[in-house]
Amino acid sequence: MTTAPVIAPQGGAPGAPLRPRRPQRGSARQWLRRSGKTGFFAALPFLAPALAAYVVFVVGPMVESVRLSFFEWSGFQGAPQEFVGIKNYVRIFTQDPVFWAAFSNTIIWVVLSLVIPVGLGLTMAMVLNRPLFGRNTFRSIFYIPGVIAPIAIANMWRWMYNPNYGIGASLAETFNAPWLAEIQWLGDKNIALYAIFAAFVWQIAGTNMVLFLAGLQSVSVEHVEAAKLDGANAWQVFRNVTLPALRPTTVIVVVLTIINSIKVFDLIVGMTGGGPAQSTQVLALWSYSQSFGNHNYGMGNAIATVLLIITLVIVVPYMVWTARSEKES
Amino acid sequence: MTTTALATPKTRRPESALSTKPQFGTRPRDYVRIGLWIALLISVLVWAAPIIFMIFTSLKSEQDIFGTPAFALPFTPEWGNYVEALERGNLLTSAGNSLIIALVKVPVGLFISAAAAFALSRLKFKRQRLLMGVIALGAMVPIQVAIAPLFQTVQALGLLNTQIGVILPYIAFGLPYQTFILYGFFRAIPAEIDESARMDGASNWRLFWQIILPLSKPALAALFILDFVSTWNEYAIALALLQSQDAWTIPLAIQGFQSQFTSSYGPLNAFTIMSVLPVLIVYIMFQKYFVEGAFAGAVKG
Repeated sequence: MTTAPVIAPQGGAPGAPLRPRRPQRGSARQWLRRSGKTGFFAALPFLAPALAAYVVFVVGPMVESVRLSFFEWSGFQGAPQEFVGIKNYVRIFTQDPVFWAAFSNTIIWVVLSLVIPVGLGLTMAMVLNRPLFGRNTFRSIFYIPGVIAPIAIANMWRWMYNPNYGIGASLAETFNAPWLAEIQWLGDKNIALYAIFAAFVWQIAGTNMVLFLAGLQSVSVEHVEAAKLDGANAWQVFRNVTLPALRPTTVIVVVLTIINSIKVFDLIVGMTGGGPAQSTQVLALWSYSQSFGNHNYGMGNAIATVLLIITLVIVVPYMVWTARSEKES
Repeated sequence: MTTTALATPKTRRPESALSTKPQFGTRPRDYVRIGLWIALLISVLVWAAPIIFMIFTSLKSEQDIFGTPAFALPFTPEWGNYVEALERGNLLTSAGNSLIIALVKVPVGLFISAAAAFALSRLKFKRQRLLMGVIALGAMVPIQVAIAPLFQTVQALGLLNTQIGVILPYIAFGLPYQTFILYGFFRAIPAEIDESARMDGASNWRLFWQIILPLSKPALAALFILDFVSTWNEYAIALALLQSQDAWTIPLAIQGFQSQFTSSYGPLNAFTIMSVLPVLIVYIMFQKYFVEGAFAGAVKG
């Protein structure tokens, strides 16, 4: 912990200790303040455009969505907004079975995402960090799904899952396994969610790989060599040298994964639209459908508010923890 | 460039200082490497399968799609699918819309974010860390939380179905992440640089424009590429705000084509390929900068 790196470490990494600041000399600071080059008013011109956009298009709508969750409204301009207290929440919690289906699917999605694409990304990164023939091509192929529009991925996979002409049907013929052709990948309510999740893994694992590869560059070669000289086997090196060095990266990957899985939307809209029988419904989509599809802004925004609270419950402790560990270092 | 090793002497971990075994010979390791390489090749082929399948389908006639196995090569490429996709779908109009939106949104958004990150990291004022936290929080909240009221806001401004009407929310929703990343990057630039610039009488603006920004090129390049790709691909906000077909961006056009011509598999896949092509080209062209930038962002940062 006391090593002084030549390069400043991991500023982009929220979990990482930042370079300790040089103690400011009093005279220099005073001089700066007198010259009007620091302080809030000097910073304002740089901050104003960002703050204006942020307040009008991000914070404003979020506050408004909390407010609207206590009203009943069709969403049409000029239509009356009627205050109903917590009625919308009572309705989504007690009378809306779709809400709970969406809720549990969102949880399943987050948990699976933390295991499968994160593990795959780490494995890919470990393997492709070695000098191998064609390494860059391999990396690119794993990464490319990450730049394709999720809605395009949804269409590709929908076509792959086509029960008559898709990959299942074709494999069934090749391997003479007719049961493969029987599977309704997106039509069976027990399978559909996981079929979409497969597309999500395909989309996101390469991105995790790139993040882990970046993190692996900070694993000190000397440490690894020293451990090997001391007789550590590959697993011991991984467990005791590589993994601890990857900790900041892992934190970022985990947080990004949670955020990305909470807001999964495009893939589901493009592949099933939430069906069959709401079996692939998630909170982000259900909120959207209530507001725009059913013109039930109150319920839609109540669901959005629940989503907001879930996000904050996950994210705020993480940010406080980051800020604290930053201060300590 | 970023792999500069630590200069300080290593303190050896006590638990690993057990014995000094001789190193393995090179032969068994070679077999391991070859086996690994073959496993890798297979995984890459599996990984590429969806794209290969899509390309094959896009080049097959309807007869071949229904009559040949999924991975049978399209020996007589049916380019007509591409022509049909171009004629039936609104591809060129949508691509134009997407391009204008991305080419305005990305530089403007990046500039605004960089300015904010500069103020938050290089200038001193009260509660600046708290402000950074509040802004960063925006990067973590799903867009869908705000989308219905956002629709009302844009409608009230009379900007539904216009390019500026999506550019503004795009900029706002891109800000938190970009500001956060650049904040980290700027903070890692030594404070001595500011001091010597100040001694020479540089204003805040000059410090930002002539010193901090040029020093941050790798991070800016990486964010530019990432942001171009995610702007091109954005679906949820566009779905809510762009309802007339003339205003559609590429993701809306893909979805529109899909729902209109559900069973024209050939043209449908051709359409998807053409819509993905621009980001693939951007990715391949800027891959070098992208990888460098991503590494710099996470390692040097």
